[in-house]
Amino acid sequence: MGKNAEQDLTEVVMNIIINAGNAKSYAMDAIRAAKKFDFEKAEEKYKSAKDSELSAHNAQTSLLAEESNGQGIKLNLLVVHAQDHLMNCITFNDTAREIIDLYKTIKESRG
Amino acid sequence: MKKIFLLCSAGMSTSLLVNKMKEAAKKQGCQYEITATSLANLKEVQQQADLILLAPQVRFDKERVEKAVKDVPVDIVDMVAYGMMDGEKVLNQAKKLLKDE
Repeated sequence: MGKNAEQDLTEVVMNIIINAGNAKSYAMDAIRAAKKFDFEKAEEKYKSAKDSELSAHNAQTSLLAEESNGQGIKLNLLVVHAQDHLMNCITFNDTAREIIDLYKTIKESRG
Repeated sequence: MKKIFLLCSAGMSTSLLVNKMKEAAKKQGCQYEITATSLANLKEVQQQADLILLAPQVRFDKERVEKAVKDVPVDIVDMVAYGMMDGEKVLNQAKKLLKDE
């Protein structure tokens, strides 16, 4: 792998880390808004979280596509770390969805 | 020498950036002690740091960090600079926050 390919890989990996991290931050904002029963803001933030998750996922897909084309990437700890961020954000977004819905139920039951 | 700490969840991606920042600092001839570490080490960091920079992926923790460190300035690394691993840009951001310009 040449210097350029290595740099390209770092960019894709950073793309995954940043977008996945953003997704988690938005999901956290969404939960905090739901906690205050501000569901409009919560839904808006949740949507941003899902958009960022998708961007991170797309970056990962590009790496997978490269590999299936026979141009395997050089696996290093940073790539694994990016994967860790991506998985974490997917799980966190799913959990955020449930928590937002839970706060809605709480609000309704209080009347 | 002023100490700058970059924090993210594991101190992994920030350590890449720290190397780039050190290169930039050398070029500019300015002296800082720049360290990347995990947010889990916040307790030790807060006793030493002159500036704390958080990676954009942990920005949701800014409020908690600010509360914990009190007088130390805390900021989020510019997202584009982080993605591009632009050590010079982040160093300049740090200098501005430290009023070293």
